[in-house]
Amino acid sequence: MNNHFYQNYGRCEQYRPHLFKWRGPLTNVKNSLPFARILLFIVAILIFNLTKAQSPVEVSGKVKDSYGLPLNGVSVQVKRSNNQGNQTKVLGTLTDENGAFNISVHAGDSVVFSFVGFKNYRLVYQGQQNLEITLTPIGSLQDSVVVIGYQTVLKKDLTGATGVVNMENATKISAGTVAEGIQGLVPGVTVRNGGAPGQNSVIEIRGVGSFQNASPLYVIDGMLSDANVTINPDDIASVQILKDASAAAIYGSRAGNGVVIITTKKGHAGEPLVSLSGKYGFQQLPKTWEVMNAASFLKTAQQQYANSGVAMPKDIANQLQNNTINTDWQKAVYRTSAYQDYTLGISGGSPSATYYVAGSYYGNQGTVVGNNFTRASLRINTEVHKGRVTFGENLMLTDNNNDYPGGGVNVFYNSSQMLPIIQVKSDDYKDPIQYPSNPGGWGIGSSNNPTYANNYLAAAALDKVSNEYGKLVGNAYLQIKLAKWLTYKFNAGLEVSYDYSQEIRDTGIWRYTNQPPETFVSEERSRFTNLLLENTFNFDHHFGKHYINGVVGFSRTQQEREYTGAARNLLQDLNGTLYTTIGSAIGSPSATGGINNKWRSHGWLGRVNYNYADRYLLTLTGRIDQDSRFGPEYRTGYFPSAAAAWRISKEDFFKSNTVNDLKIRGSYGQLGFSDALTPWQYVGFINSSTRAIYGTDQKPQLGQYQSIITNPDLHWEKRNQLDIGTDITLLDNRLNLTVDWYNSTSKDVLLIVPLPQYLGSSGSPFVNTGSIRNTGIEFSAAYHNHDRAFKWDLAGNFTTIKNKVLSVGNQGADANGNKVNYLQPANFVRSQVGHPMASWYVIKTDGIFQSTDEVNNYKNKDGKIIQPNAKPGDIRFVDLNGDGQINDDDRTFAGSPWPTLQAGLQFNGSYHNFSINMQWVGVFGNKIYDDVRRPLDSYQLVNFRSDINPWTPENTNTNDPRLAIDNGNDPSVSANNMAQTDRWLENGSYARLRNLEIGYNFQTDFLSKMKIHNARLFVSGQNLLTITKYKGLDPDVANNNLGMRGMDSGFWPSSRIYSVGIHMEF
Amino acid sequence: MKKLKNIILLTLSAAFLAGLGSCSKDLEIENPNSPTITNFWKTAQDAQNGINAIYSTYHRVGLARNEFFLTIIRSDEGFSTSPNPVLVNNFDVFNVTDYNLWETTTVWQDLYIGIARANQVLDNVPQIYMDETIKNQLLGEAKFMRGFFYYYLATLWGNVPVLLKTSVPSDYPPTTKQADVYAQCEKDFSEAASVLPISYDAANVGRATKGAAYGMLGKCYMQMHQYSKAADAFNWLTEGAGKDVYDLVTNYRDNFLESTENNKESVFEFQNAVNPTDNHDDDASGNPDNLNYGTSIPPFFAPRPIGFTDGQARRWCVWEFLKEKTTDGKRDPRLAASFLYDSTDERGPDYSMIYGQTFSSRGYADVSGDPIAVATTHTVYFRKFLNDATSNGEVFHSGNNYRYLRYSDVLLLYAEALNAMGETTKAYPFVNRVRARAGLAPLPAGLNQVAFLAQLKHERITELCGEGHRWEDLVRWGDLSTKLSARDQGFSHYTDKYALLPIPQYERDVNPNLVQNKDW
Repeated sequence: MNNHFYQNYGRCEQYRPHLFKWRGPLTNVKNSLPFARILLFIVAILIFNLTKAQSPVEVSGKVKDSYGLPLNGVSVQVKRSNNQGNQTKVLGTLTDENGAFNISVHAGDSVVFSFVGFKNYRLVYQGQQNLEITLTPIGSLQDSVVVIGYQTVLKKDLTGATGVVNMENATKISAGTVAEGIQGLVPGVTVRNGGAPGQNSVIEIRGVGSFQNASPLYVIDGMLSDANVTINPDDIASVQILKDASAAAIYGSRAGNGVVIITTKKGHAGEPLVSLSGKYGFQQLPKTWEVMNAASFLKTAQQQYANSGVAMPKDIANQLQNNTINTDWQKAVYRTSAYQDYTLGISGGSPSATYYVAGSYYGNQGTVVGNNFTRASLRINTEVHKGRVTFGENLMLTDNNNDYPGGGVNVFYNSSQMLPIIQVKSDDYKDPIQYPSNPGGWGIGSSNNPTYANNYLAAAALDKVSNEYGKLVGNAYLQIKLAKWLTYKFNAGLEVSYDYSQEIRDTGIWRYTNQPPETFVSEERSRFTNLLLENTFNFDHHFGKHYINGVVGFSRTQQEREYTGAARNLLQDLNGTLYTTIGSAIGSPSATGGINNKWRSHGWLGRVNYNYADRYLLTLTGRIDQDSRFGPEYRTGYFPSAAAAWRISKEDFFKSNTVNDLKIRGSYGQLGFSDALTPWQYVGFINSSTRAIYGTDQKPQLGQYQSIITNPDLHWEKRNQLDIGTDITLLDNRLNLTVDWYNSTSKDVLLIVPLPQYLGSSGSPFVNTGSIRNTGIEFSAAYHNHDRAFKWDLAGNFTTIKNKVLSVGNQGADANGNKVNYLQPANFVRSQVGHPMASWYVIKTDGIFQSTDEVNNYKNKDGKIIQPNAKPGDIRFVDLNGDGQINDDDRTFAGSPWPTLQAGLQFNGSYHNFSINMQWVGVFGNKIYDDVRRPLDSYQLVNFRSDINPWTPENTNTNDPRLAIDNGNDPSVSANNMAQTDRWLENGSYARLRNLEIGYNFQTDFLSKMKIHNARLFVSGQNLLTITKYKGLDPDVANNNLGMRGMDSGFWPSSRIYSVGIHMEF
Repeated sequence: MKKLKNIILLTLSAAFLAGLGSCSKDLEIENPNSPTITNFWKTAQDAQNGINAIYSTYHRVGLARNEFFLTIIRSDEGFSTSPNPVLVNNFDVFNVTDYNLWETTTVWQDLYIGIARANQVLDNVPQIYMDETIKNQLLGEAKFMRGFFYYYLATLWGNVPVLLKTSVPSDYPPTTKQADVYAQCEKDFSEAASVLPISYDAANVGRATKGAAYGMLGKCYMQMHQYSKAADAFNWLTEGAGKDVYDLVTNYRDNFLESTENNKESVFEFQNAVNPTDNHDDDASGNPDNLNYGTSIPPFFAPRPIGFTDGQARRWCVWEFLKEKTTDGKRDPRLAASFLYDSTDERGPDYSMIYGQTFSSRGYADVSGDPIAVATTHTVYFRKFLNDATSNGEVFHSGNNYRYLRYSDVLLLYAEALNAMGETTKAYPFVNRVRARAGLAPLPAGLNQVAFLAQLKHERITELCGEGHRWEDLVRWGDLSTKLSARDQGFSHYTDKYALLPIPQYERDVNPNLVQNKDW
């Protein structure tokens, strides 16, 4: 792999711009010079060139890496121009273990330093005595090498749309997952954070093209394996995102949602380098609901019961007389907690072998009590070269523990709803008449104080879930250089994951009228294996101005997951000790699972890149996949793509002092997506879950039938993608711009066709029938200015994604013969043809009735009173169809959950030893359904938001309806609170200061005595500021159900994290 | 030489590649988790298991819990003081705004799941090579159950799609008119009656019988007001061969106790049993080890805080029992079997036991500040489904069978049919038989047709209160109107459209061929 790119790189040298335009040597020379001195320097070079000194000079020097470590084995070559201007090599040597070298050189000679994994460094010899050279690793911008799947290319030669993550920015984020770290960094990549400890982020590339699953495929060092929270982001060296069909087609049937290619850190030849990074922080919820304290609550509730003429519950009446309880439920459940992340790594090697070994620990307790996530991981990457053979492996071992309450209590709903006049816990609540089955005395509603809000703390104490994921993932490869232009590679990958989950349910309840189950313990063990075998041939050849390279190969994947689960009720509780194993429980045992899902796929893959004179680039990619998850007739799929690029800046006619590089490119192709399906869905199966009871013994009798209608014609989802883009480098390579326009049309999208319930199918089959189009523009720009003491760079990007449903398949026809063209997972959300997926579909509100006259005058054209039950202070709804009544026929589209614009902005600056990093993300134009506010503002048996402003005859200038009890005598109260109205929709736009970090680099002199090469201390604040009108806790919402994407059903908000950290190398 | 080596290496690698690829058997993987449809419907056991799947349906949440809100609470017998306004609005005060209400549409869905199960049996079992008698019996059971589910649909929603074949996704049937839905029930029950056995051995008791089929057939005709056909159907039970099979049990309360299930009065029962490890009632997915095969209605009807009291009885029902004393001057014994209230024990609240504690000691008499204040002192709880006789609490899995069709119901319906046909005199003995079991005197002779019907209405309330038949009775008698608000305030909001439930909007969204019921 490295050899391969090295060849590429060497070749590119001849197309380099003239030395003086080349930033490399100037910025890399130690003590880089201020601008004025550069000018002087240039003049000096010119003079030297004129005088052309002829006698050779013996020069010694040293080559180091950016950490000041000597580099052993660096090739030093002296090249001299003859009279025709052609350069020939006259001398070559290697550095010794101290990085030292000696050469004989003429003034005006070029000296080129090259070393695997580092940028070539070239200087024109001007008579210096001591050369101190610092090589920089392959890093950013156009010179960087990009992994594109089975191959690497220079970023500048990319023909497809490939996003390269700036890891410097990504690693600044306190992130549990890779995805979390790259929010806002790459255009076209949407990341939504999950704030719960151990929660995976949602990542989507170029919008959502599937109704089932929009997650990209992850490839880690050539192994196709999920980069979820079990992977330590600190081990990652680079992340590339394959966005268009040309880039991703090499992964064929699994690439439809884009591909994220992750390369982990590798060792470099040289002395062992120990790196230590540690971060410790505190996190909290940036925002909680502003709800009433006891005094305000009681006053408001009193008003509410009085308005409805209903007697107050006894406890409210008592507390009104003598308020003894004032519980801040949110304060009781939310917390400031620790956030820790440590990695200790050692790397090094010799020219024939390199290693990288790192151990890490990550701990995140989360902002809500009862949660915890920890991860310990070990990574070992090694590579050995001998002659034509390279052998290497990348291996990761990780153990993760995740604890949280069971019972399905969403803390964000319940803690805002819970009444302030209920205590968290008290002996008063042990009374078995008022509070049956509540031996712990947890505070819950009662008939004297009805509320159905859950006591989250009770759930956390009574129902504990702990998960442990033990995982080994890695691959080993053998690479043989068969010829100068041909390399064979065998790659074997294995991922094995052993997951264990335990739930322990103690006695008691957490909600009024909860039915307590028996105590129980339930355990689930599962084993996941993912096996990858690949044989590939890489070729790479140039003749004249033609350059051709590529790969062909075969890939086989097998994945298998087995579950076994068991449970037993009646835990023994002896003298306060609860015995929590299945073996110790004394009740009835049951098996809760025991299935095995297995599938395989075969893929033949190929890619050819052709480059003529660095001007015309063509890439043809194709893959043929076969997958066992489909029936024999649908097992094989073809995924071709083509891309072309034209580097205009290389044309003779192109003359610009401003533009250093200008390339336009275009691609078209087809990808597949198969990972939404579990195996065997194409064939009907017999359900054995039903049980009949009969006979005098009333014993259960096995029942069997086909419970789910199946679809034998299942096949992959397809994505047809067109991409047109341009890459421009300007202003002495300081400014890089990339613009892409794309059109991605999903076809044969898997839909669970909403079968009518009258078919009696318990669940619906997938049908390849949908179509979704995503179009958009991606723009990114990066500017850097490193010429002065204050060095800075600024990168920004924006993305527009226009999502449109093109087909939802055959949903039948209505009474007028019109096609039904929508899906509707709930009665306020629709995915309808011609509209964005999961658009809101609601009854519109139109203010508040101010008087009985207004109610009576609100008639349709036939004179029918539209809301006859309404009273002053009730919400007026729009009778859209004019039929004189408000019902579901009055719904209409009211916005979409998809942002019209997403943006990211990153700023890095440094002045002497200080550095600053600032990252912003912005999301604009989407609507969120605030389902957490809905019950609060419905006023029924819950606490109230402290800033509600209910209508009263005296307080008429408000949008909040009157306070009333919904007890059946006042039907318009439930109308006010209908779920399918725009009352619950809110603007989801926000701009967020994602990260602010200030760092300090300690002086090398100071630390060198302690053999510390580099030490950096930093403080950072994450999610410090969010500018939004959204009333909920966090507008960064991603509902797991793609069909209801924008519904905030208590989504866990991102934490605000204050942390301090250190990074040291020695 | 070197070149040759390369070529050999290259060829070997290519061969290896091709070798892996050509193995298409590698992609044939058997599903180890469940038998596929191609391996089923082959044996007599498969046929039997198919029938069992149909019987499993009445443990699903729609039929094991939610239907009772529709059949009992919605009628004038019941009302709701649930703190959950959804229940009050939809099942008490006729304020239905959500056509997809979970509590209602689960009943719809579960009925159709049952129908799909029956249709699979009826499509596949005829081809199975097996004992013809048993095969016919199984097909009869499937027809009975299909008819039974359609009967519910016809009474609750009226105009519904009728599917008689194994479902395919392309089924977009139109609405079938209520009368035609009943006609389909009639066909299924008739065909079932001709092949079903009169009774079963101990291992199979509880399955559909000939008597159940005739009983249901009669009920169909009653709802269609085809009284002479109804009388003909009931006749098999009341005066025909079934006369010797069925009888009234001596102790009325035995009809509601788990210990006396499937007795001689039982014509058709939902068979329930307790699964102590239950945690779900979706019998088509999830783990069967944790499947609830009981009814979950007791915690919903039981008094707070034992249960939720999401539904309870109207006080006027109690008064109906007090209108008349037994021949030996006592209170109608059916009253205490029907309700838990302050005087379940005649001596009053200090003696009336509510799950092991007296009505008084539970504090039900104290009403100040109670959010359901008006109801409390007058609170009457339906008792028939409850397990208060054997337990001090209620859980979601009650094993107590729901006696859907009792012989006394058949006798009263038969009498009603005869009276409607003008044969009032002939109807007397059947009513008197029911009254006699309660210790009441025979009816005075000479009641005219109208008076006899009025008397029958009283008889049905006292005999069948809280058993889920009241709504059908009110429909049949044409008594649904705001007039009922005198004894059930909820009916003040009643309008004619509420005679039928709205077709779920979900179904109409998917299949617009379906016509919504009138005025919805």
